[in-house]
Amino acid sequence: MSALIWSVIFVLCACASRVSSLPPHNSPDQLSYPPLHISLPQAQRVVTENGIILYSLEDHEIPLINISVVVKIGSVHDPIGKEGLAELTGDVLRTGGTRFLSGNAVDETLEFFAGTLSISVNRDYASVNLSILKKDLDKGLNVLSEILQHPAFEEEKCNLAKALKIAELRRINDDPQKLAFREFNRIMYRNTPRGRLATISSVEKIQRDDLVKFYKRFFSPKNAMMTVTGDITSNEAIHKINQYFGMWNTTLNETVVIPAPGKNKGRIFFLSKEMPQSIVIHGYLAPAKPDTDSYAFEILDFIIGSGGFRSRIFHDIRSSLGLAYTAGSFYKARSDHGIFVAYAITGSETTSTVLSLIQSIIGNVKNSQISQNELDWSKNAINNSFIFSFLSADQIAQQQMMNEYNKLPEDYLLTFREKIKKVDADHVRSVANIYLSFDEANILVVGNEKVYDSLKSKFGDIQKIGDRL
Amino acid sequence: MLERHMSPTVSFYIRHRVGSVDEETGKTGAAHLLEHLLFKGTKTVGTKNYEIEEKVLKQIARTGHLLDLEIMKGNQTDGKQLELLKIQLDKLNKEHKKWMVENEIDRIYTENGAVDINASTGRDLTTYHVSLPSNKIELWARIEADRMTDPVFREFYAERNVVKEERKQRIESDPGGKLFEQFFAAAFIAHPYRHPILGWSSDLNFINMDDTEYFFKKYHAPDNTVIAVVGDIDPVKTLEIIKKYFGPIPRQNITRTHVTEEPLQTGERRIEVLFDANPHIIIGYHKPNMPAFDDYVFDVMEAILSKGRTSRLYKALVRDKGLAETVQTVNGMPGSRYPNLFVLYAIPRHPRTNAELEAAIYSEIDRLKTEPVSEKELEKIKNQLKADFIRGLDSNAGLASTLSYFETLAGDYRYFIHHINVIEKITSEDIIRVARRYLTSDNRTVASLVKKKQ
Repeated sequence: MSALIWSVIFVLCACASRVSSLPPHNSPDQLSYPPLHISLPQAQRVVTENGIILYSLEDHEIPLINISVVVKIGSVHDPIGKEGLAELTGDVLRTGGTRFLSGNAVDETLEFFAGTLSISVNRDYASVNLSILKKDLDKGLNVLSEILQHPAFEEEKCNLAKALKIAELRRINDDPQKLAFREFNRIMYRNTPRGRLATISSVEKIQRDDLVKFYKRFFSPKNAMMTVTGDITSNEAIHKINQYFGMWNTTLNETVVIPAPGKNKGRIFFLSKEMPQSIVIHGYLAPAKPDTDSYAFEILDFIIGSGGFRSRIFHDIRSSLGLAYTAGSFYKARSDHGIFVAYAITGSETTSTVLSLIQSIIGNVKNSQISQNELDWSKNAINNSFIFSFLSADQIAQQQMMNEYNKLPEDYLLTFREKIKKVDADHVRSVANIYLSFDEANILVVGNEKVYDSLKSKFGDIQKIGDRL
Repeated sequence: MLERHMSPTVSFYIRHRVGSVDEETGKTGAAHLLEHLLFKGTKTVGTKNYEIEEKVLKQIARTGHLLDLEIMKGNQTDGKQLELLKIQLDKLNKEHKKWMVENEIDRIYTENGAVDINASTGRDLTTYHVSLPSNKIELWARIEADRMTDPVFREFYAERNVVKEERKQRIESDPGGKLFEQFFAAAFIAHPYRHPILGWSSDLNFINMDDTEYFFKKYHAPDNTVIAVVGDIDPVKTLEIIKKYFGPIPRQNITRTHVTEEPLQTGERRIEVLFDANPHIIIGYHKPNMPAFDDYVFDVMEAILSKGRTSRLYKALVRDKGLAETVQTVNGMPGSRYPNLFVLYAIPRHPRTNAELEAAIYSEIDRLKTEPVSEKELEKIKNQLKADFIRGLDSNAGLASTLSYFETLAGDYRYFIHHINVIEKITSEDIIRVARRYLTSDNRTVASLVKKKQ
C-alpha cells in the first residue's frame, strides 16, 4: 500500500476529438462564481514565564496533536573549521538519549505509541516537530522536554551521526541537482558565514564535546518559539508547556548576529561533471521579507519563473522550445536578505542557448514594462491562492510563529493581499532594475567538459571550480 | 465526495485506470506523453481560431511523421529530404503559434487561485489533480470535462523533447533511477510492468500524434474514470455541476485485451549496472497484489523491516553494524493492478560493499522465516499503521488522493478503511508462512549498481 507514493512521474513537472460534438460551453473566463467567504483563523500567542513564545490553535477533527519548536540556531553559527556542527548537534540531540533514557530507549518509547519526533537544522534555524495521538500527549511531552532540556549526547550516537553525514557528503556527487545547488550556495554566499559548508574534513574534526558546548551556548527558551496545535484547547496547551518546559534553564543563552550577505561581482562559474545534461543556475540578492520591495518582487518572480506554465522561463524554455523538463525560478526571503534564483536543466548541446535565454528573459523585465494582462494575472493568482496558506491549524500557527521569527509586523498576513494589489508595473520594473543587475549575477553551470568549451567560446571569462566535499 | 469545512478550499482528483502497463511494445511512453499533452488546451481553450488551427495541426502531424520515417531509415536516410522536412516542420510550427494561445489551462487555473495543478502517470493509473477556492468548482468541471472530450495536442514535437529531457534527468543522470529501470526490466521478463513509465529512448524518438490520440480515445473514458472531490462543498450542488459537464461524455465500453502474465520465476536473476556513482543494491521478490491477504502481511513485514529507527534493518545494518547508509523496503512495486514485488533498496556505507550488505539483509529475512515476531513488536507495528491511517485524514488533497486511488484500483474506496482492520488480525504465524513462501532465493531479482571506472 505504501507504494502509492512511489513510481509515478509528474508533469511538472493533433486534435483528438472523441465524439462529434457536445453542446459548447462558455469560455472559462466568462464563468461567474458565488462569493467566497474567507475568514483567516488566528493562533493565540502567549509568552511563558521563562520566555518561550507560544502559538496555539485548536482543531478537533482528528485525535492528533502537533508540537513544533523553532530555535534560532543554524549552520551559519558553525565555528570556522567545524562546519557541520549545528546539524550534528540537532541529529544527536534527537538520537543521543537523555538523563534517564538511552537514545535507543527514546526510540523504542516513541515508536511504540507511534509518535514521530524529528529535529533538523538548516542554514538559519533548527526545527523540532513532534506528532502524537492525543491519548499519548504526556508521554510525548515527557520525551520532548527531556531531549530539549537534558540531552545526553551519547558518544556512539555522535559517531553514528558523523559517519552518516560523511557518507552523505561522499554521495552528493551522485545527485547532480544536490551537487549543483550546494555549490551554488557556496558561490552565492561567498565571503559570508552562510557560504561555509560542511565537508568531510570539517565533520571529521567535530567531537562530542563540541556538540555539548554548542548545545549549551544556543539551546535556550530565549532562543526558541513554539506552536501547539490540534486536538487540545489553548488553555491546556499553555498549561502543558508550562508544566514540561517551565524549568527550562534560562540563564545560559546567546544570540549571535550574522551579517547579511553583500553583493558579489557578477561571474559565470563552471563545475565539471560527466553527464548528458547541464544544470544552469542564476542567482541574485533580493529584498528581505520585511522590505516594502518584497511585494513587487513576489510578482516579478511569479512572472519570471515561479508562476507555473505561463511564467516566462517555463513558457519560453520548456513549452515553446522543448529545451528542458525542469525550468523556473524562486524567491526566498528571510528577515535580513532575500535571494532570487532562476534555473533550468537542459541537454548538454543546448546549454549555452538556455543560459542566454535566461539572461534575455531577465533583461526583458528590466527593459520593457510588463503588460497590464500579465500584471493582473500574477496579482490575481497570488491573491486568489492566498487562502491555501490557511489549510490547517498547524500550518496557520507555524506561519504566524515564523512571521514573528522573521520580524514581520503583526498584521503582515492580514494586509498581504492589499499590498500585492497596490503594486504597479513601474514598481515591478524598478525592482527588476535594482536587484537583477548582470554585474552582480552569480551564475553556475554544472555540465560536461564539452559544455565548458562551448560556453568558453561564447561567454569568455568563466571560472572553473572544483567540488569541495 | 467528502465534505470538510476546515477552509474554503476544495481538492479534486480525476483518475483514469490506465498507465504505462497498458502500452504496446514499440509505443512505450505513450501514457505519460499523453498526460503532458493534455495541458495544451482544447478546441475552445487555447485557440484564436480553431478551424484554421486544425488544418495546420494536421499538416504538422503529417510532416512530423514523415520526418520520423526518414530518420527511422538509419543509414539509408536521405539527408536532403531530412533537411527539407525539418524546415517545413519549423515553418508549420511558426504558423501554428499564430493561431494558438500557449498554456491556457494553466493560466486560467492559476489566475483563479488554483494550487497543486499537476498530473501524474504511473504504471497503473493516470491522475489529474488541482485544488481551488471552493467557489470555483464549476471552473474545474468546465476545464476537466473539456479535456476529457476535446483535447488538442499542440506543440507535440516540443513536448516530445521535454519528455526526452525528463528521461535524461530522471534516468540517465540519476543512479537510482537508472538502477530501478533496469531492475524492473529484469524482474519482469514478460509482463508489461517491465516497461519504464517514461518509455524506452528509441520509442520516444518515434512516438507520434496518432499514437497518443489512439491511446487517449481508448482509455480516457468516463467508464474508466473515478473522480474524488474533497473539501468545502455542498454535495448536492457539486453533483449537479459534475452531471452538467461530465454527464454528456459518452461511455466507451472499453474492451481490455489479454495482458501477458508474468511466468513463475524459477531461479535467481542478477544484474549489474555500471554508473559513475557509489554502489546501491535493489532486491525484489514476486508476490500477489492487493486485495490478496498475503499483500496485507507484506505491509506488516515492510514496517517490521524498515519503518523507523527501531525497525530491524535500521537497527542491524545502519545503527549497530555500520553496513548501510540507508535501507528501505517497499511493498508493491512497481504497481498494484497486477502481481508485483516486495522490494528492498539499500546503500552500503563506504567502504562496505553491496555483497556484505546483501548477506546481512538475507540474515534478517531468514529471521522472519524462523523466529516468530514477538507480541510487543507486532503491537508496535499495528499502532504505527493505525496512527499513519489517522495522519492520512488531515488534508483535502490527501483524502481525495487516497479515496480515488482505492476506488480505481481496488474497486472500493473503503479498502483503505478495511485495510487497518485486516492488519489488526495478522499473526506471527502469518508472517512466517508468507516469508517462507515468497522470500526465497529462486523468486528473487538482485540489481547492483557498480561504480564505473573513469
